[in-house]
Amino acid sequence: MKMGNMDNSIEVTDLVTQYGDRVVLKKISFAIPRGKNTVILGGSGCGKSTLLKHLIGLLKPTSGKILINGKDTTVMNEDEFNEVRKRMGVLFQGAALLNSMTLEENVALPMREHTKLEDSTIQIMVRMKLDLVGLSGFGKFYPSQLSGGMKKRAGIARAMALDPEFLFFDEPSAGLDPVTAAGLDELIVNLRNVFKMTIVVVTHELPSVFMIADCVIMLDRGEVLFAGSLEELKASGNERIRMFLERRPETETYSPEDYFRFIAGN
Amino acid sequence: MKIEIADNKGMRVIAISGDIDMYTSPELRKELMHLVQKKITPLYVDFRGVSYIDSSGIATFVEGLKGMMGYGGKMKLVCIPERIMEIFSFAKLDKVFEIHGTMSDAVNS
Repeated sequence: MKMGNMDNSIEVTDLVTQYGDRVVLKKISFAIPRGKNTVILGGSGCGKSTLLKHLIGLLKPTSGKILINGKDTTVMNEDEFNEVRKRMGVLFQGAALLNSMTLEENVALPMREHTKLEDSTIQIMVRMKLDLVGLSGFGKFYPSQLSGGMKKRAGIARAMALDPEFLFFDEPSAGLDPVTAAGLDELIVNLRNVFKMTIVVVTHELPSVFMIADCVIMLDRGEVLFAGSLEELKASGNERIRMFLERRPETETYSPEDYFRFIAGN
Repeated sequence: MKIEIADNKGMRVIAISGDIDMYTSPELRKELMHLVQKKITPLYVDFRGVSYIDSSGIATFVEGLKGMMGYGGKMKLVCIPERIMEIFSFAKLDKVFEIHGTMSDAVNS
């Protein structure tokens, strides 16, 4: 383990992930700055969800290093990583709320599990978290009684339960209408401004990128195609980046001969 | 976190230094609720040495203030560092608590 650059919360070096023969992440390296919103951007199948799983410790890479606050998490055992995890909040795609519990109980759960706070204090904290995400008065509701946007907000309240240093979002706008998605993006920006958290958002939604990103890491076919500021991304002349930003479809990669061989099974 | 409680000519000051977080808030709650049970008023809280406060710390003060309101008590927060003041403002609590820049302002208010 070695100390990394203190301006960066997360540093990834030569990360490789392989599922069988298929290499998903091809020796990628990048850094995520402290207290900023970083968007991991890329098309479907580019490896961004796999990368997120590595960052939050759900998946071990084939090789490479992930330094979080200077400590390599790829060599940590489960107990050591659990200490790191307490400083992380994650909003999963489906919000991952427990359906048999009310919103209050969902948000209180991490506090009850990981702290020795009195229940009276926890109740106040839960109401603060729900208010933070615009869900004041919904504490007694069950997840099934909420709209998609409200579920995501409730998921953020729970992710914020232990005042994390890092907040990870997996496709936050997936399945939401544009107005609800914009409201969620605004909330993400506010969270960074007030709490100075390091926020990492995995998405392929361009309007979200333009609204929330301070920094962008763009993945393409398992490689880092771009890492830099949003302004630099917009100004990039790289053909693959332009295609993505201008929503142009990929050109046919097969030659007619290759296509024939493929469908004929030769 | 360190808590010092001083009794200066009947003026009760609780001075906190360090981080008020999920680990230290229960200790702060214990001290605060002890003073609330004794129906102390006004209670001055000196924030000068506080380096960090999280939502559990804020909730602890809310709980303390709620307890004091039961007997018409006043809690005066003094010398809150700018960074921590931002959090009080965001939580819309800057209007709920009585907040003063200096101890003499708090005493004369």
